[in-house]
Amino acid sequence: MRAFLAAAFVVAIAVAPSAPVVQAQGAADRAKVLRSAADALGMGRFSDIGGANTRLPGIDIINTMEVQGSGTSDMGGRQVKTDFHVALGYNPVAARVELTRTPDDGPAQHTIETVRDTYAWNESEIGAGLIPGKGVATPAMNTVRERLLHIWMLPYGVVKAAYAAGDKAVVSSEAGATTISAPLTGPLAGITVKATLDANNLMTKVEARADNQALASLNWEADYSNYADHAEVLTDVKTPGRVVLKQGGRTIVDMTVKTWETNNPYLVFPIPPNVKTAPATTSR
Amino acid sequence: MAVNRRVIATAAALCFATAAVFAQTPAPRGPRTVNAPPKPTGTTPRAADGHPDLTGVWNGLGDNLNGVPNQIANNGIAIESETVARDLHSGQMVTVFPRLNNRPQNNEQAERAAALLRRSGSNRPIYKPEYWDMVKYNDHNANEEDPSNNCMPAGIPRGAIPSYIAQYPNHVMFVYPGQGGLIATQTMYRMIPTDGRKHTPLKDLDGTYTGESIAHWDGDTLVVDSWGFNANTWFDQIGGYMHGENMHVVERFRREGNTLTWTATVEDPDYLLEPWTTTPRVALLNPRPDAMLPESQPCSERDLAHIVTKEHH
Repeated sequence: MRAFLAAAFVVAIAVAPSAPVVQAQGAADRAKVLRSAADALGMGRFSDIGGANTRLPGIDIINTMEVQGSGTSDMGGRQVKTDFHVALGYNPVAARVELTRTPDDGPAQHTIETVRDTYAWNESEIGAGLIPGKGVATPAMNTVRERLLHIWMLPYGVVKAAYAAGDKAVVSSEAGATTISAPLTGPLAGITVKATLDANNLMTKVEARADNQALASLNWEADYSNYADHAEVLTDVKTPGRVVLKQGGRTIVDMTVKTWETNNPYLVFPIPPNVKTAPATTSR
Repeated sequence: MAVNRRVIATAAALCFATAAVFAQTPAPRGPRTVNAPPKPTGTTPRAADGHPDLTGVWNGLGDNLNGVPNQIANNGIAIESETVARDLHSGQMVTVFPRLNNRPQNNEQAERAAALLRRSGSNRPIYKPEYWDMVKYNDHNANEEDPSNNCMPAGIPRGAIPSYIAQYPNHVMFVYPGQGGLIATQTMYRMIPTDGRKHTPLKDLDGTYTGESIAHWDGDTLVVDSWGFNANTWFDQIGGYMHGENMHVVERFRREGNTLTWTATVEDPDYLLEPWTTTPRVALLNPRPDAMLPESQPCSERDLAHIVTKEHH
């Protein structure tokens, strides 16, 4: 991280001796940049098969995704070997993150952390708490914002947030790179995500920044690289091959992707009854 | 590999195209650029008993009911204009991307897009957790696993809106033409009494593809209640939605002018966590007084042996 910051500092000095060049763009540029970013990811699609006299425009086809990967995650300040299994969706906005951490000096630990809309809970097994006697769902309402944030920090989330934000989305050029900024809404109001695009209009970095100190714990960064179609069922949707999540300069997740299924697989996130009735916290 | 994919995609595209041509559909003046449910026009004809008369050929949208534009609508995504689309189940807006040129897609692009478009809606049945992986596997491997891919009947409620309905005083007749090609399915028909009879006890029925259906009128809505199914079908055209022999389906048909709105509610205590209701689907009456249903193409599945990837409809 220190090396990264040093490199960034050198680049900033070289490109902009006094300050980073930040140039806000107009509505036309915003539309063009957003479309380029969406197209680079393969988000807007149409098909005329069987359409005969129908010719529909494209629509955003990203809803559910399933990611399998391996790498490391932070466990009490230590980087621990981790297997990742992430199911997520944007309609409804939801995710189920299953981690298997294997410390060098102890047994493997398995966790399932789930969020949907304004509810968060931990599952003792997949789908726990939905059928009496089958697993335990433990409400974790104070984690709603953080869990939701990671969904919106994905490249697809940034594009969706930017389109939803309309003229509140900002396209800029900073130190030669195009950036897209968009305010989040709902439980994440007060957070802005900013993505940096590469020459192929793919997002290499996404930063989440809080508007005020009270939300400072939601300042996160994500680095994305090695984009390709990592799915078994090929869809032409580009997904990162490596994901690095950082908070306060510390790496929390470093995942190399094995598969990233983008064909809207069957992934559901029903809220267990005891979670629906759990007391709300400030996160709700 | 690429060649095989193209062959399969072409076969599927031809299947759609041919079915559309043979359906004697009206000739719209220009391309339809939305797939939102059509608004009804005209009066609703009534039978002698005062109930709406559902009789007619219900393929008036001008394209194949199984084509991608209609499949997107069936999945609950309504494209209402060149700039507005929404998910009818959740109400969430869906970003629209206007076409930037007239360049046609190749078959691979069209097939991959079709698979995504038909699955992007939010209205999904909620299975018991122990079946989540199986449903996902079914859809992931639909080329091999889809029970209707081998000239078998689509079943109910997958058959959805029949292409032809004939209404008589004591029964209705539904006809679902079969299709050739990769998603080859057999022609189905249903003769459904409306004479007030009761269901046969479930334990006394041998499971069938369309089950035992009886119907009654709830005001101006025809309610078709079915059970006694076999477990050999999936209950929607996408998704790998398997079911058991205890499935119970309630379909509701409502005619308004030249439109027919259909929903189905599926209950399956063995597989589903809760009943699931389809997003309403709307068919348009074929306005031609001489509209006829053509003979279905013979169903002879020849493509499955050539499939080399998991790409599918």
